Amino acid sequence: MAEFPRPPFTSRGLQAGAIGVWPLIPALAMYGVAFGVMAKTAGLSTLEAAFMSGWVHAGGAQMAALQGWADPVPALAVCFTTLAMNARYLLLGATLRPWFSELPSYQSYPSLFVMGDGNWAMALREHSQGRDDAAFLLGSGLVMWTTWVSSSAAGHAFGQLLSRPETWGLDFVLAAYFGTMSVAFLRATRDLFPLIVGVLTAIVFERLLPGAWYIGAGALAGSMAGALRHDHAR
Amino acid sequence: MIMRADIVTAILLMGVASYLCRIGGYLFMRYVAITSRVEAWLNSMPIAVIGAVLGPIAAKGGASEWLGLVTAIGMMRLTGNDFLSAVAAVAVVATTRALPG
Repeated sequence: MAEFPRPPFTSRGLQAGAIGVWPLIPALAMYGVAFGVMAKTAGLSTLEAAFMSGWVHAGGAQMAALQGWADPVPALAVCFTTLAMNARYLLLGATLRPWFSELPSYQSYPSLFVMGDGNWAMALREHSQGRDDAAFLLGSGLVMWTTWVSSSAAGHAFGQLLSRPETWGLDFVLAAYFGTMSVAFLRATRDLFPLIVGVLTAIVFERLLPGAWYIGAGALAGSMAGALRHDHAR
Repeated sequence: MIMRADIVTAILLMGVASYLCRIGGYLFMRYVAITSRVEAWLNSMPIAVIGAVLGPIAAKGGASEWLGLVTAIGMMRLTGNDFLSAVAAVAVVATTRALPG
């Protein structure tokens, strides 16, 4: 097993992360407000919306889970949706192993709790530039977590003013966000294969099954298509 | 009643699922190297999830939703700014929905 040095984990690193993350905050706050509005539309209370944001802390998963929200809540389906939406974190977390492996658990595991796409990318960029203070991820993540929870609660409160969120296009925020993300994840022609399989599977399952299962089904089929394609190419 | 039992239960389980994803890959890498096939599977996951979310929206949506998606993708390609692109796409959807007819 390779030996990795123990990285510094200081209050200066924490501060660097908290300051460095600011470019991501306006979009995150808008996204959080949109989630709050959606949560209100789905029938959640302010406290429930804030609790979900603080405890689950994953915008795409939370919004996708709300798409399949019903009374009573289909707990199994929303959990499967959460797993499907957050499966990418498995890879993000894996990439942190060499850098974080010698950190004590009380530093690495709270850092992973506040890991998101944005601050993960920022932290890895810092690391590649030789700034190896591992507290950067926690510092940036705590600011994102605070923004996410407070903007979710604020959106839920504003929801009373916006009687019809679809008039403002707010039901389209997730689609818009994912549309922009598709540009970053479509790096090569071979990425079209899992995309198309995911699209077609989801369209079929959305017509066959109620709730959020279609996202998990599309994600599973699409990603497996990507892995099969990889085998084929080798 | 501020918090309903079935909602709190679902949120608690969602949070566990979410955190397991965050620590799962990190724990996994402690014992096993990710093979190229596993890596290809995980690498394909984001674009498959995006497709699974956008597919039914495009299939069920009208001109507004299609214009919104074109705006999001086109603006992102032009500017590289996800915040700006998402705002523009939402604005296009809101505006075209407000148009009569």
